[in-house]
Amino acid sequence: MPLLDIKNLTLEIDTPLGWIKALDKINLSIDSSEVRALVGESGSGKSLVVKSIVGALPDRWKVTADRMNWKGRDLLSMSDSQRRAITRSEMSVVLQNPATSLDPSATLQEQIEESISDSQLDRGWFWQRRQQRRLIATQQLHKVGIRDHDVCLASYPHQVAEDISQKFALAMALVSNPKLLIADNPTMGMETTTKIQVLRLLAKLNKTRELSILFVSHDLLAISAMADTMTVLYCGQTVESGKMSQLKRRPLHPYTKALLDSAPSFRRDLPPKAALSSLDGTIPTLQHLPIGCRLGPRCPRAQKECVKMPDVRRIHEHYYACHFPLHRDKT
Amino acid sequence: MPKSSFYNEELYPSPMRHTWNEFQRNHIALAGLWCLGFFVLLVLLGPWLLPFGPLDQNTEAILLPPAWDANGDVSHLFGTDGIGRDLLTRVVHGCQITFGASLFLVLLAMLIGCSIGAYAGMSRGLRASIINHLLDAIMAIPTLLIAIIIVAILGTGLMNSMWAITLALIPQFIHHTRDMVRREYKKEYVTAARLDGASELRIFFHSILPNMIEMLVVQATMALSVAILDISALGFLSLGAQSPSPELGAMLSDALETAYVAPWSISLPGAAIFLMVLSINLVGDGLRTALKNRLSQ
Amino acid sequence: MLIYLGRRLNLLLITLLILCIASYILAFLFPGDPLTNLSGTPSPSDDQAQQLRLMYALDEGALAGFWQYLKLTLVGEWGLSLSSQNPIFDDICQFLPASIELSLYAMFVSLLVGIPLGIIAGLNHRRISDMGILSVSLVGFSLPVFWLALLLILIFALQWGGLPMSGRVSLLYDIPHQTGFILLDIIMSNVANKQQVLLDALNHLILPTLSLSIVTSSLVIRLTRRSVINVMASDYIKAAFAKGLSRPQVFWRHGMKNALLPIMPQLAMQFTVLLTNAMIVEVIFSWPGIGEWLIQAIYQRDFPAIRGGMLAVSALVVIVTISVDLLIRMIYPLSKKQIHAQV
Repeated sequence: MPLLDIKNLTLEIDTPLGWIKALDKINLSIDSSEVRALVGESGSGKSLVVKSIVGALPDRWKVTADRMNWKGRDLLSMSDSQRRAITRSEMSVVLQNPATSLDPSATLQEQIEESISDSQLDRGWFWQRRQQRRLIATQQLHKVGIRDHDVCLASYPHQVAEDISQKFALAMALVSNPKLLIADNPTMGMETTTKIQVLRLLAKLNKTRELSILFVSHDLLAISAMADTMTVLYCGQTVESGKMSQLKRRPLHPYTKALLDSAPSFRRDLPPKAALSSLDGTIPTLQHLPIGCRLGPRCPRAQKECVKMPDVRRIHEHYYACHFPLHRDKT
Repeated sequence: MPKSSFYNEELYPSPMRHTWNEFQRNHIALAGLWCLGFFVLLVLLGPWLLPFGPLDQNTEAILLPPAWDANGDVSHLFGTDGIGRDLLTRVVHGCQITFGASLFLVLLAMLIGCSIGAYAGMSRGLRASIINHLLDAIMAIPTLLIAIIIVAILGTGLMNSMWAITLALIPQFIHHTRDMVRREYKKEYVTAARLDGASELRIFFHSILPNMIEMLVVQATMALSVAILDISALGFLSLGAQSPSPELGAMLSDALETAYVAPWSISLPGAAIFLMVLSINLVGDGLRTALKNRLSQ
Repeated sequence: MLIYLGRRLNLLLITLLILCIASYILAFLFPGDPLTNLSGTPSPSDDQAQQLRLMYALDEGALAGFWQYLKLTLVGEWGLSLSSQNPIFDDICQFLPASIELSLYAMFVSLLVGIPLGIIAGLNHRRISDMGILSVSLVGFSLPVFWLALLLILIFALQWGGLPMSGRVSLLYDIPHQTGFILLDIIMSNVANKQQVLLDALNHLILPTLSLSIVTSSLVIRLTRRSVINVMASDYIKAAFAKGLSRPQVFWRHGMKNALLPIMPQLAMQFTVLLTNAMIVEVIFSWPGIGEWLIQAIYQRDFPAIRGGMLAVSALVVIVTISVDLLIRMIYPLSKKQIHAQV
């Protein structure tokens, strides 16, 4: 049974022009101890997916889904407190912009200790428990590579550097020993060495503690090494999902191919001054979403049928939504 | 507004138009605007439509209750005061004095305050820092207090109280203009204009001013409501307009002696002030929200 | 931080100095003899005049004169009132506490009412309760305070007759002046039936406090509501929800502090607005405070008293604002960043 199983997740946003489907029938599933990458250009709704999983969206937005199961229990139909209990103990999330997602008026120590649940502590008097909390927090900080924990814990969010607060957010997410880590662009803006450190840490946790990770990023190079499976989003629609290796070798959807091609490659046989391949045009704004397959206007293979939304098709473990997939012209 | 558009084309309104559209969506603010328009009409046309003068005394109808009271009379719609002056006439003339004077002095204060503020915002160094520090201190003192102090120096009277309130309002305009100019000045488009060799004056009038004019309008509506309240408060304390003048605040203090027998002579002029201030505040609030909505989109 | 403290104290001193200079210059600007305006002696004989000129060092140039004036001001030698011939400093010491007392109670009431209502409105943004609270506060904010006071008198004192309409305490009781705060004075004095006197004083307080606090609490509501809405839309609140905290937990642990701390200076600033409004309300309710005293002085063209009262009130306002500002800078971590950014 998958840990998290989402089927046809739709998110509607109230705008001056009426309700707009910011997410349209997203499918996503994560098995235990799996690393799934969620990729897409900026503005493709990755962060919205993350926020609707943890329920951090404004009340006025409508979230509907055929299925949104956590270990077989439906997240959408359960009560607020049950859902909170799950997000508190089993899921953890690192939101984008960690610097602004920290409370500016509390020290980092207060904030990380808030994430440590009581069940992680031995029984004892409250001062002993306080020491335990402090100890757990310190250890966790060391793990993510913050060395001077005393300075870090005593400071306020605006006093630490951007990459420290990013690492700190990661530490805060990991400190409650979650089953699933949802990391929204956790390595954004880090320098390369720290980035590798963090990725290595995540990979290790994945192996040793069987931590599942939903890794949201647009940095394909970083992801491809560690992710097992990948889901590609475009404009709030799932475009393709499947095994990482398969997707990389034979992408079926034109968008996936464009995305893979746009990553700078280090092939020797590139002609000098070869253009970096990319799709024409830009991602449309929410007010101007095309009907049918939202890639339509930008797609090199688009035809008349593309104004109808393609059904999700499946070959083994490989799902794609395209009328004219690559590599399958004979069928 | 029904728009028929065959092509799913987006209409991008101009900033002013956009603000207006946003403003219209707020019905309460729109009602405030209508109310304000009514007051402006009243101020412009009212005195010609009324049969009485503000100082005419009708000795046969002293302390007549308003027309809706059983003892009232239609010829004096709002009743009369202790020496037989028609209250409706006096309230209309009072609105003219209070509203007109406030509008005039807010415009004057805005003109002076903005010029100084713009100068302070564009200049650097010691001068700017002195202006800043002084302003911070002055901003903390409420306008009415400054006005009372200035009236104490100048002596009582409507003109003096108008000068006093103008002087008291100026620091706020300076402060806001300075802040806005500072903020805009840091932005790239101003830098671009400067690199193109535009003079400071040109930068101010062509780049900065168009971007802050709406905020200034909002600021002016806030100042207008403060000015109305202050001018009538000074009138009420007999520091501003003096007794026979139909200024709304002065009317209220006039009516104090007959308050028990003629409560309407207190409630009606006060209600006029209240409605004026309320409609201005509604418009100001609506404008501010509209601007914020526009900028956040 | 110390540098900032120094700067603010510096600002405080400079502003007070400027106020002193202004009040000194006023003595020369006011119509009449500067000597009379400074000392309050109506028409001094030659002898007296000579003495006073010496005392104020009028013949030694402007700077020396001002220095002398500053010294006299600091030791509480503010001259005599023209109309009553009382020492002005003593008068102010007697009347100012009454105003401060009234403003403090009104401030307390408006914070007590305004902050919770503002929070409720902010948390229920765009729901009916928010709309209701917002419109009530808009109405309250537009009420002219003197009209409101008159209406309250009309309704509660004249029509209903249950509440007294003037003074601080019934004339039957004779309360010796000690601190100037009526309730404290009553408690410290040894009049008979203390309870009854206290109740009477409280009755006298109701109407003035109410008329002051209606206006101020609507301002407080608006400030609080705006701040709560901004904070609740911020990223760290979403992050706190994502951590699995419940709504009350999120609000009490993260929202409350961040919403209220930044508006503290503005809330404290309302005290000065209150003090000014209190001056008007005092006139209406014959409350023996600095406002009534000052306005009487203006009517009687009592220049020494106007000068003294103006100096006292504006100095109080400046001191309150700057010290509150300082206090908040010390306890609110984020504003420390702004201090450094400003440099």
